[in-house]
Amino acid sequence: MPLPISDRRLSTLYTDWERTSQPIGKDQALQILAEVGDGAKWTASKLLTELKKPGMTTEKQIALAQSGMSASEKKDIGTILDQGKVPLEASAKAFLEQVIGRSAPTPPPPPPPTGSGLNVTGSQANGLSGTTKAGATIEAINLTTAPGGRLHMDDTMVIGKADANGQFSLARLTGEQVMKEGDLVRMRARYADGTTSDWVTVKASGIEGKDTRNAVVALFRIGMSEATPGKVSVDNINASRQVSEPGAKLQFTNSRTGEKTQVTVTDIGGFPAGFQLNGKAGDSFSIAASDGVNNTAFTTAVGNVTVPGGAAGTTDLIPDPALHKDELDSAGKPKFGKVNFTGPLFIGGASPDDVQQGQLGDCYFPASLAAIAKHNPDAITNLIKDNGDGTYTVTFKEKDWATGRFKDVPVKVDGDLYARSYGGALYGHSSNSSDPKKMELWFPLVEKAYAQWKGSYDAIGRGGQMSDVFEDCLGVDASSMGVSAGSADRVWDQVVKSVDGHKPIGAGTYGESESAKYTNTGVYADHAYTVMGYEKSGTERYVVLRNPWGESEPAGNGANDGVFKLKLDEFTKLYQSLYFQS
Amino acid sequence: MAKPPEPIEDVMPNATWVVDAEVTEVLATGPQPAKVAAKPGATSTGQKTASQTVKLKIKRVMFGEKVAELVVEKPEAQYALKPGNHGPFLIDSTKTILGRYGPDSYSLERIEKALAAKR
Repeated sequence: MPLPISDRRLSTLYTDWERTSQPIGKDQALQILAEVGDGAKWTASKLLTELKKPGMTTEKQIALAQSGMSASEKKDIGTILDQGKVPLEASAKAFLEQVIGRSAPTPPPPPPPTGSGLNVTGSQANGLSGTTKAGATIEAINLTTAPGGRLHMDDTMVIGKADANGQFSLARLTGEQVMKEGDLVRMRARYADGTTSDWVTVKASGIEGKDTRNAVVALFRIGMSEATPGKVSVDNINASRQVSEPGAKLQFTNSRTGEKTQVTVTDIGGFPAGFQLNGKAGDSFSIAASDGVNNTAFTTAVGNVTVPGGAAGTTDLIPDPALHKDELDSAGKPKFGKVNFTGPLFIGGASPDDVQQGQLGDCYFPASLAAIAKHNPDAITNLIKDNGDGTYTVTFKEKDWATGRFKDVPVKVDGDLYARSYGGALYGHSSNSSDPKKMELWFPLVEKAYAQWKGSYDAIGRGGQMSDVFEDCLGVDASSMGVSAGSADRVWDQVVKSVDGHKPIGAGTYGESESAKYTNTGVYADHAYTVMGYEKSGTERYVVLRNPWGESEPAGNGANDGVFKLKLDEFTKLYQSLYFQS
Repeated sequence: MAKPPEPIEDVMPNATWVVDAEVTEVLATGPQPAKVAAKPGATSTGQKTASQTVKLKIKRVMFGEKVAELVVEKPEAQYALKPGNHGPFLIDSTKTILGRYGPDSYSLERIEKALAAKR
């Protein structure tokens, strides 16, 4: 018998907790408040974000929830308290009782080191030190570096533990979050009973002589849309993650009008509600950031973000190919924004590991480009040229069937690529994809140009043949041949001939009718692979292959980089076709 | 097929169970999805296989309620299951297998890292 809760969403939430036996702690109590406190001013998700804001006291949380709570919703909380079967932690029970006015505010706990329950002392020359309750673990996140990754503001790491006297010291963040002078570090203590102190934010000092790390900006989280004629709305399109560090100033310069607008990043790492710029669809904004110490004149820009839409002739250098239909919402609007990538075209020339397939069903394309990069890398450097003005020209080849000759098809593209809300190019990419200034660009731009030529990412993302890509990129004839258990010698001869002749070659697996035989093999059905080479060991012959995902391979092949070898007889069982330059 | 698995960050929030399990029985198979038109010899056609209802014997629960066995739905997808298939399964609250390639979507190491962030 379900609990009689009138708020439909709260009822669903509670039923889920019943099913999973999820006890109600402080986090779940806040979810309840968000559901009952939503109304004209807040949606439940916005209210939950507000309730979890740093510096939000229990009293403020209760007042906020009460302001949007109806009588029936108040009754719902009473029902949960009185009739609910899901275990309620004591702190959550007391909290919810306060919300509906059954009890006086909880008396303050025994005097903690500070009002927050966590006190950070001294400089951070030797890590973080301070006091809290005895035995508490210390959790922290570097808010200065976090926007560059996928971290939420409460994705903390444990950096230390308080001793029996409540003291902790030498607590350090690690990896990409290593603290530098001037960084903002958000901390809290987690007590033995699972509850936590309030958040405390510390500006690191005493580590180095000078603060040299500016605020990091997650361009890919900046969403722009034309709100009204002449006005552009600016939002954090992934509100649970930061655009930049709290308090940083961002300056937007409209490349068309030259107008500059500054905004201060809020304490949850986003933009103030209703933030707008003067501009229109198609305008491109150059964005510069300052943490108050570095780049205070905003002379160094982080990159550009373009307002989607607009007619040709706007500041988007070249109109971009449309997204694949899977990435459009029900109204046909893109679910992803674009980021201008400005990294080097090549880092140490072209190589297969520069190629990583994105969320697009065009495996035949990256597998072919990796094959060309492996066997004829000069062909890649001849394929794409940097025009030096933010644009690049990719010269494909098209066969004239009347003459049998190939003619040049130059396609010009700019560095704008569709990007994920938490960073990284959505479609084809290389390593360092989350950094628009560092990613090696040749592969994603050749793929973009291919989409431009063929009509859209949708047009190239519905399957194809590797041999067509060899022809389109190299202007040479290419062929395919069937692979079967009885064709081992023929297959081997072709692999050896192509590899030794420095000609690109690839292989394709069977389609869905044979899907079940691939599960657990580390090889995937309906998929194209680069043939990297061959090996012989005694009488055993092996084909060396690469998955264009840049990972996922049969076990026992070393690092998970997508490169693996298969015995020739296994290869002939799992693969259906070879594709190669004639 | 041929698209890489979805980023685990997009999938993990929807997981009610994360288990290391083995398929012991295929209980039912749905109708074959419509054939995708594609050039002969093409890869990445996106052709899906029929949905399946399968019984999983749970070896280890990495996240979620402790269970010894689950009957779950493999949606129309670009892979198929048969008895003996095994690996890490991410399963949502409707008992549907998540991840574009089911147990071949993510390595255990990657799942454990994502689970640490989920906790």
